[in-house]
This record gives sequence, structure tokens and C-alpha cells, in this order.
Amino acid sequence: MTNAIDIQRVRKTFGSKVAVDTLDLAVAQGSLCGFIGPNGAGKTTTIRMIMSIIFPDQGRISVLGKPSALESKDRIGYLPEERGVYRKMKVLAFLTYMARLKGVDAGAAERKADEWLTRMALGDVRKKKCEELSKGMQQKAQFIAAVIHEPELLILDEVFSGLDPVNRRLMRDLIEEQHGLGRTIIFSTHAMYEAEQLCDQIFMIHQGQKVLDGRLSDILAQHDPHALLVEPMSSGAEAIVARLPGIEHVVDPNQKVGRGNGHPAALDVMLDGTIDESEAMAAIVRAVPVRRIERKRASLEDIFIGIVARSGGQVDADLLRASLSGSALGGGES
Amino acid sequence: MNRMFLVAWREFQSVVFTRGFFFGIILTPVFIGIAIGAIALVSQLDGPKVAGRLAVVDQSGLLEAGVRQQFSPEAAKEAEAATAKQISQFADQIPGKTGEMVKKQAATAAKQVPKPADLSVEFPPPPHSAASLDSLKDQIRVAKITAAKDAVPSLVAMAVIPAEAVRRDANNAYQSYELFFAPKLDFEIQSRIRERLTRAVTDARLVNDERLTQAGISPEQVRSMVRVGEIKSVTLTPEGERKTMGPVQFLIPLAFMILLMISVMTSGQYLMTAVVEEKSSRVMELLLSAVSPLQLMTGKILGQMCVGILILVVYGGLGMAGLVVFALMDLIEPIKLVWMVCYFFIAFFTVASLMAAVGSAVNELREAQTLMSPIMMLIMLPWFLWMPIQRAPNATFATIMSFVPGINPFVMVIRLGGSEPIPTWQIPASIGVGILTSVFAVWAAAKIFRIGVLMYGKPPDFRTLVKWVRMA
Repeated sequence: MTNAIDIQRVRKTFGSKVAVDTLDLAVAQGSLCGFIGPNGAGKTTTIRMIMSIIFPDQGRISVLGKPSALESKDRIGYLPEERGVYRKMKVLAFLTYMARLKGVDAGAAERKADEWLTRMALGDVRKKKCEELSKGMQQKAQFIAAVIHEPELLILDEVFSGLDPVNRRLMRDLIEEQHGLGRTIIFSTHAMYEAEQLCDQIFMIHQGQKVLDGRLSDILAQHDPHALLVEPMSSGAEAIVARLPGIEHVVDPNQKVGRGNGHPAALDVMLDGTIDESEAMAAIVRAVPVRRIERKRASLEDIFIGIVARSGGQVDADLLRASLSGSALGGGES
Repeated sequence: MNRMFLVAWREFQSVVFTRGFFFGIILTPVFIGIAIGAIALVSQLDGPKVAGRLAVVDQSGLLEAGVRQQFSPEAAKEAEAATAKQISQFADQIPGKTGEMVKKQAATAAKQVPKPADLSVEFPPPPHSAASLDSLKDQIRVAKITAAKDAVPSLVAMAVIPAEAVRRDANNAYQSYELFFAPKLDFEIQSRIRERLTRAVTDARLVNDERLTQAGISPEQVRSMVRVGEIKSVTLTPEGERKTMGPVQFLIPLAFMILLMISVMTSGQYLMTAVVEEKSSRVMELLLSAVSPLQLMTGKILGQMCVGILILVVYGGLGMAGLVVFALMDLIEPIKLVWMVCYFFIAFFTVASLMAAVGSAVNELREAQTLMSPIMMLIMLPWFLWMPIQRAPNATFATIMSFVPGINPFVMVIRLGGSEPIPTWQIPASIGVGILTSVFAVWAAAKIFRIGVLMYGKPPDFRTLVKWVRMA
């Protein structure tokens, strides 16, 4: 099976700023691929280059087997991050126009637009002007515009931003449905949570360079944090655990300023290389009474933050984490 | 290709199928037409009829017969005939069938001229004391201007004519006379009264001048001496001769330029607004996933071109219809219309592509103003150049201006609108310059457009735009 997208050694600069630097990327056909990276990492630039809206300075991009997206535009659905609607146009007319621009013939375009509007519970507004729609409704209409021509490849840039939990769920279902139809989907997001739930493949870029690329399960396995989560029965356990052999350090999230009065969080127990997880667990259980002890699972969010913090140095990991979980809970764009 | 036309069609629809366009562009000329018709209709109505009395204080005692004759119905007919003759003389200056038409209408038209109808003239007997004059003046002050026949007519005007207005005074000179009018007396009637009294006074001077009597010269002979008849003016051209054309011809170059400007500027403005709107509403990138920037820009320009053509056809068509109605079509040679259309395309593509470029570079309409000013200056230039070019369409200045990129279509239509033939080589040469200009403008605009449409944030200045053109 050929790849839906093949990017080879692509570089793009804007003036003196390198937006994307020698990027290699392959997206298998039929995969559901999460494209992550902090703000300004070069995600939108990469997507625009895939769409041939802008062109790389160096390197090669092939999309759906063609050397440029221009030759296969009708087979691609694209929902840009900067998206809008013609304010004065009627909803149905707008979608029909978008479908026709994507090569759907006149009769079918209107019929499809109508079907989609009914499906998305927008049937009542088809004769209304786009400016009369709420933001969530506009997002749905834009999604319809991206998929109305039944593209083989769907590129969704920050598709979850600005949606409430209900519409977020709807959007996830729609993406999964499209995936079920065998379409290749790439979506960029800040919401690691969505990525983790949906994707089978993840790639991450940071400062224009690829820092993660692979199957989600492989990435999670590779980034095993080598740590335990320990919830002690009593206070004071932190110091005892920290002195045990093979323990690198212990972080007590409860001591952090500004933490709420919820359940006490488990201690983060980082292991050094000299001990494996089961030995350490046994040692801890012997040393202090615990309510709960488990191997810490790698989360995409931790991996993301780890990478950004390591290379950036200056980045405040907590701030980043807050912004990520904020967007994961539907707090809007960050 | 197909998509470009889709874009063009949507663009055209989005402008033309709106109430604003309908009322602003289509109905405006209709209203202007109606207004002109209404004015014509109103002027067909008779002037106000006034019933009133005119007192002529004749201190010479020589005027009564003459004045009564001037205000008699026969004199009114004579005056009408004179007006008709004037009108038909003016009609000779209008070329083509209109002239003939106006001539035919001259007699009817002369009837429309207001006259001091139902004005009865009286001559207060002497002595003309200051006190008696004052009492007459007081009557005029409170005069009721009315057309009603039954009421007692008021005194609405008074002339005080000294003896020296008819007979020379000690210094061998004539004096003038005084007129007093009621405040609301129609000004046409005032001027008729003045005119007729003056005629009566001059007649009286001729009749009573002993020098003429001694020399055996009749007043009629003097009148014929001072009258110069109809003046025939002819313009000589290499091909032959034709009647000198009046103000109509003077206006045609201006009409040509205004027509070109309205159609080009209106559609150009629409184009810029549309591009800015697509950018600010963020629909641009959605579109760019389906069409290339060049397709998008070309489609939009073509769509607006159709808008421009529609405006040109509506306004130009109305103008032509006007010329046909007044049978003035021979003022415009058909080939000039063909050239006019050529220059429309040149001007449109030059202006529209610049407008598209400006629209693509900014985020809001407000920011476009700074970048627009050079374009606007270019467009305004022909307004200042109109007079000198129109006066001397083949002077060096006009010729040079015909080859200045950007304004040459406007300059050329002014020159074409005039009656002086332009050297044949200049038309294709200036079209050539125009085509090169518009091709360059479209090319540069395409470059700016491609970069501009996805740029948000600080709007670029003119130098940045130049950089963009040279970059890609």
C-alpha cells in the first residue's frame, strides 16, 4: 500500500525564520494520524505545504501518489485552522458552492449539502445566512464543506478548538466514521487527550523538526517513564520512600502551590536505572503502608511536555500542562 | 478553468443580486432620467399668469402710445415670433436631426415663455409730485399678486421715466429710468416689463430725434442698421465642412471618461471589498483548498469584470439611448465605441488587479486606505487633465499622457470623445502600452495576492508589497 502523504527532506523558511526544517514524514493510507506540536512549531505551515497553498523551499512532497496536492485537490478535504464562511451567503448555497469548487457536479452538490445539513441537525438553518449561525454551527458547516466531496484524505487543522463537549463528541464520532470508511485522516490538535483517544499514528514537530513519529502504542512503550505512582496511607511517607535504594527522587504533587482540596494525589516516584519496577514496588510496600501503588503509564501529554521542556529549556512545564489540559477540557484555543 | 468560472459567477452574483447594487447602480440612472423628464415637463407648463396694474410715470409725455403698443396683444405675438426665431437660430448650432426637431418645436417653445399677461398699463397724469409717487410706491409695497380676474388688480409695478430718458439733456446725453416692483412679482415678468419699456423708450428717442428727422432717416432704418442677423458658423475640416457643434460636443469626451471611470472604479472597489471580506471572515483558506490563488484571483477579477461591463452597458446604453432620442448619434463614430471597450478592458484589468492585490494584503477595509492612496491618485489624475487634453487633444502634452501607464486609457477616451481625429498610429500604440501595463499589473498582483491572502497581522506598507512581487 502506498502512503497517502510522503514528505521528504522538506524545508521552509519565512525570511530568516526556519518554519520547517528537513522534515521527513510518511502517512500510511487509511491511517488516523494525530499531528501534534506546540504553538508555532510549524504544524500549519506543514499542512499548508501538503495542501500546496504554500510551497517548500527544498524537498519533495507527494500527496495521494501525485507530486503536488494541486493535482489531487478534489480527493482531499481540508479544514484549515483559520476558517470562516461567507457571512452574507445562505448556508445551503455556501455548501453547494464549496462542493462545486471541489468538482461535485451541480445537481449532486446541492443534494449532498442538503443531506449533510439534515444529518448535522442544521436542516432548519439551510436558508439562513451564514452570519446568523452560532460558532458551533459554523464549525459544523465548515466540517461539511471539508467532507462533502467524499475525499480520500482529510486534513483537519485544530478541529476541536472552540467546540463544547457535546459537539466535541459529535466531531470525534464523525472523524471515526470517516476513518471507518477507509479514509486517511490527519488532524492537528493541542488536545492530547483527543489525540490519544483517536489516533493510531502520531507525529510531533517542535521548532520545525520532527521529534516523534510512529504508532501511538509504540511511542507510549518507548516513552515508559520508568516511574511509580504511590498513594501512601499516612503522611511523611515521602521522605522514607526517597531514601530507598534505586529511587531517583520523589515528587509530591500535593505540596504544589495552588492545588485544590480534592483527593490527595499519588506521589511520583522516579526510579533510576538500577532497579526494575516490580522490585521497587516490593521495596516500597515493605517500607510504608500504601493505599495504592502502580506503574506510571506514559501519557502523550507528558511525552509532549517532556520533549518541549527538554529542548526549549525555558518552557514552564506546568504552564504548558495547564494550557494543554485546558484545551482538552474544551477551554478553547490556547 | 471550470472553477475559475464558478468563482467568477459567485462573485458576480454576490454583487449584482443585492438590493444595494440594484438601487445604487441600476436605479440611479433611472431616477436621473425621470428627474430630467420631470424638469422638461415642468418647463412645458405656462409661466405664472399675473393680473395687476403697471403705472408708467411718463415725465416726457411722449411715451404713452409707444408703451401701450408694446403691451398690446399684437406686440406679444411679435415677441413670441422673435423668441421662436432665436430658438431656431440656436437650433442651427445643434447638429443632426435634433436641430431640425428643435426648429420645428421653436414656435411652441416660444409660447411657453412667460409673458406679462393681463397687465393693464396706466399713465398717472402730471404733476408727478414726490408725494403722489410715494403713495404709488406704498400701493406697490402691499400689492397682492394674483391671477384672479374678479378681484380689483393691485398696482404691482411702476416705472418713473424722466423726460431726459427720451430727449437729450443739457449735456447732450440721455438718462435712464427707474423701475419699482412688488416684492413677489415673478422675475420673468419683471424682465419682460423692463425689456418692453426700454424698447418703447428707444423707439421714442428715434422718433423724437430732430437730427434724424433733419437727415431724413426713419427709425426703421436705424433699427435695421443696428441689427446683425443670424450668424452662421462653420468648422472646416480636411474632409470638408460641417456646422460648428455647441456644448454637446464639448461634453462627450467628459462623458466618455466618466463612464469609463464609474465602471472601472465601482467594480474595482467591489473587488477589493470582496477580497478583504474573504480574508477577514477567514473563508480564504477554505477556498484555497479547492482552487489555486491564481484561479481564485482570476475568477474574482472576471466576475467583477462582468459587473463593470454591466455598469458600462447600463450607463453607456442610457447615454446612447439619449443620443438616439435626440438624434445625435452622428457625434460618435461607431469605431470609437470599439476603442472605448478596448480601453475599458485595459483600465479594468490594471485597476482591478491592483485592487485585488491591496485587498489581499490587508486585514480590514480601513487598512486598505493607505495602500489605496497611490491608486486613487492615479485615478484622479485624468480629472485634472481633462480640460487641457480636451482643449488640445493632439498637443504634445496630450500625446505624452496617452502613453503614461495607468492613466492612458482615460486620456485616450477623452481624446477619442473629441472631434479632432487622432493620428492613426497612436491608438494601437497606446493600446499596446495599456495591454503591457495591465499584463504587468495582473502579474504583480498575482504575486502579492498569493502571499497576501494568508498573511494576517500587521498590514504591509508599499515597500513590503514591492518586496513580495520580487520575492516569489
